[in-house]
Amino acid sequence: MKALRQNALAIPILIWFGLLVGIPLVYVVVVSFLSRDDLGNIVWQFTLDNYRRILDPVYLRVFVNSFMLAFLTGLVTLLIGYPVAYITSKLDPKRRSLAIGLIILPFWISSLLRTYGWVILLGNWGIINNVLMALGLVDQPLQMMYRFGTTLVGTAYMLIPFMIIAVYNSVDKLDKSLLEASYDLGASKRQTFLRVVLPLTIPGIAGGFTLVFMPALGLYFISDLLGGGQTVFLGNLIHTLVNRGRNRPLAAAFSVGMIVMVILVVSIYSRLTKNQKEGLLL
Amino acid sequence: MKKPLLSLVNLNKYFGDFHVLRDISFDIEKGEFLTLLGPSGCGKTTLLRCISGLESIDSGDILLNGESIKDLAPNRRNVNTVFQNYALFPHLNVYDNICYGPRVKRTLTEEQLKEKVREALDLVQMSGYENRMPHQLSGGQRQRIAIARALINQPDILLLDEPLGALDLRLRKHMQAELLQLQKVTGTTFVYVTHDQDEALNMSDRIVVINQGEVQQLGTPLDIYNNPKNLFVAEFIGDRNILEVDVLEWAEGSAKVGLGSQVVQIGNGRHQLYAGERAVLAVHKDKMRISCTPVPNALVTEALSIHYAGSQIRIELAVVHETEAGRERITVILYQQGDCECRPGDTVWVSWDADGAVLLPLEPGWQGRVLV
Repeated sequence: MKALRQNALAIPILIWFGLLVGIPLVYVVVVSFLSRDDLGNIVWQFTLDNYRRILDPVYLRVFVNSFMLAFLTGLVTLLIGYPVAYITSKLDPKRRSLAIGLIILPFWISSLLRTYGWVILLGNWGIINNVLMALGLVDQPLQMMYRFGTTLVGTAYMLIPFMIIAVYNSVDKLDKSLLEASYDLGASKRQTFLRVVLPLTIPGIAGGFTLVFMPALGLYFISDLLGGGQTVFLGNLIHTLVNRGRNRPLAAAFSVGMIVMVILVVSIYSRLTKNQKEGLLL
Repeated sequence: MKKPLLSLVNLNKYFGDFHVLRDISFDIEKGEFLTLLGPSGCGKTTLLRCISGLESIDSGDILLNGESIKDLAPNRRNVNTVFQNYALFPHLNVYDNICYGPRVKRTLTEEQLKEKVREALDLVQMSGYENRMPHQLSGGQRQRIAIARALINQPDILLLDEPLGALDLRLRKHMQAELLQLQKVTGTTFVYVTHDQDEALNMSDRIVVINQGEVQQLGTPLDIYNNPKNLFVAEFIGDRNILEVDVLEWAEGSAKVGLGSQVVQIGNGRHQLYAGERAVLAVHKDKMRISCTPVPNALVTEALSIHYAGSQIRIELAVVHETEAGRERITVILYQQGDCECRPGDTVWVSWDADGAVLLPLEPGWQGRVLV
C-alpha cells in the first residue's frame, strides 16, 4: 500500500509509455508473425515466413548496409564531434553558450529542408559544381550525389549535435583537478588526454554513439534524397514495404530485426558505462 | 653557507587586476616542514600552485636547487602535490593510481614498480588495498593514497594543499601525527598550506604567515606565537586581548604605556616606538592573571562575567576609566581558580607574564578595538 502511494506519481508516465510505446511495440511484434492476403490485408494466421525471408542474403545485405551506415555515422560524428565538444568546454562561459547555441541552431529548421540544402550544394548543377566549373577546375560536374558516402555525410550532419552535446556533457563534468594531478605527476598533455580524459569520457562517447547510431538506422529520407536509392537501407525498405509493397507483416519483421540491433548497441553501451558510473559519482 | 632547496625571489602574481601575490621572497630549506598559514583568500594556495607550476608567475623567479624553474611546465618540475580533494583518478584502482607518475615518466619497470608500490603502501599503512577503487575508500584512506601517489616520485618537495580540511576533527588530529611521522621517515621537504593555526603551530618547523598576498612573518612556531611582527599576526595567531594605548616612555627593553588614566610598565621593546605615539598592546588571554587586591603593574578592571568551560575559566572584564564610555573589554583565561574568586561587579587587578605581551605599532585604519 505504502509502495503504491510512493509510486503513484509514476502512474501517468507509465500509462503514457504503455499507450505510446508499449502497445505499438506489441502490435509490431504480433504483426511480424502474421500473414497477408493478395491485397495486402493482414490475415490472422501464424507464420515464421517473414523471419525466414529477412534472413535471405538479399535482405541480409540491407541489414549490413544499415549497420555500416549507422556505425560509420557514429564514427564520423565522434571523430568530428569529440574535438568540437572538447574545445567548446574549454571556452570562456560567454563564448561557450554561443558555441552551444550554434550547434543547436540547425534544429530550428526542418531536417527535410536541410537535406534539400545538401542537394542544392552537392547536385550536378549544384553550387559546388558550378563554382568548380566556373573556375575551370573541372570540365564535367563531379558526381557527388547518389552515393553511399553522400548518405553518410547527410546522416552524420543531421545527427552530429547529439554526439557533441553528449561528449560535451561528459567533458564538462570532468574534475579539472584530475588533469592538474596528471600534469603534476609528470604526464604531458597528450598522456593526460589518453590516460585520464579519454577513459573518463567513455560514458559520453558511448552515449553519443548510441544516440547517433539508433536514429541513423532508421532515417530513410536522407538516403532517399541524397543516396537516390542506390543503396537500400532498413528505413527505406520498411517504408517501401508498408506504403508500396503493402506487406506490413514483412515490414514488421524488419522492424523487429532493427530493434534487436538497437538493443545490442544499448546493451554494449550500458556495459561500457556501468563500471564507470560508480566511480564517477564520487 | 648552505644553498636553500627552493628560493622564491620577488614573486608577483596577478589575476586580472587583482594583485594576488606581492613580492614574495623566502627560502625553503631541505628537509624542513614549512607551513603557509593565512586566512582564506590570502593567496597561500596560489603560491603553492606557482611552485608546482599549475599557475604561472608574472614577475620574479623560483629557484629549485639554484636553477630557475619558473618557465618549466608542471610535469617537468620535480615537485608533487597532494590536492585538497585528493584528485585520485576514479577509473584507476589504488595500485594504478600510485603507479601513474612512474608510468608516464617511464622511470621504472613494472617489476620495480611492484616493489615500490608495496613500499609506498607500507609507508602510509595501506597495504592490501591495491585493488580497491578510490570510491571504495574513506576520506582518510584516499588521503593516504594521494600521499603515496605523490611520494613514489621521490619529489624534491611535497606540496600539500589543506590536505586535512575535509576530515573530521579526530581523524585530523590523527593524520597530523601521521604526516609528521611520514615527513621524518622519508626526509622529504614538506610545504603545507593551511588556514588552521593549531595545525600550523603543531606540525611546522617554520611558518610563513601570509595575508593579502604578502608575507607578514616567517619564523618558528614559537617565535610567531610569542613575537608577532605586526598587528595582523598578533590578531591572527593565538588568542589575544588587543588594547590601543599611548606610548609614554620607550626605551630598548622597557616601555611605559597609558590606557586612559592608567599607566603600566611593560618589558617589551622589540619595535621602535616614540613617546607620544599611539600603539597596541597585545596580550595572550591565557597569560594573564587576576588579583582581588592591588598589585603593581596591573590594570584596574571591573569583573563583568565568569564562565566555566571544562578545564578553563573565562573571565570577562572591563577596564575602569573615569568616564563610562569606551571601556575596553579584556578576556582572561585561567586554568586554575587561584586565590581571587571574583563576582560580577567586583574590582579586579589584571597583570600578565612579561613574555605574554607585545607592544606593536598601531596601523592606520585598524578597527579591532573591543569595547564593552
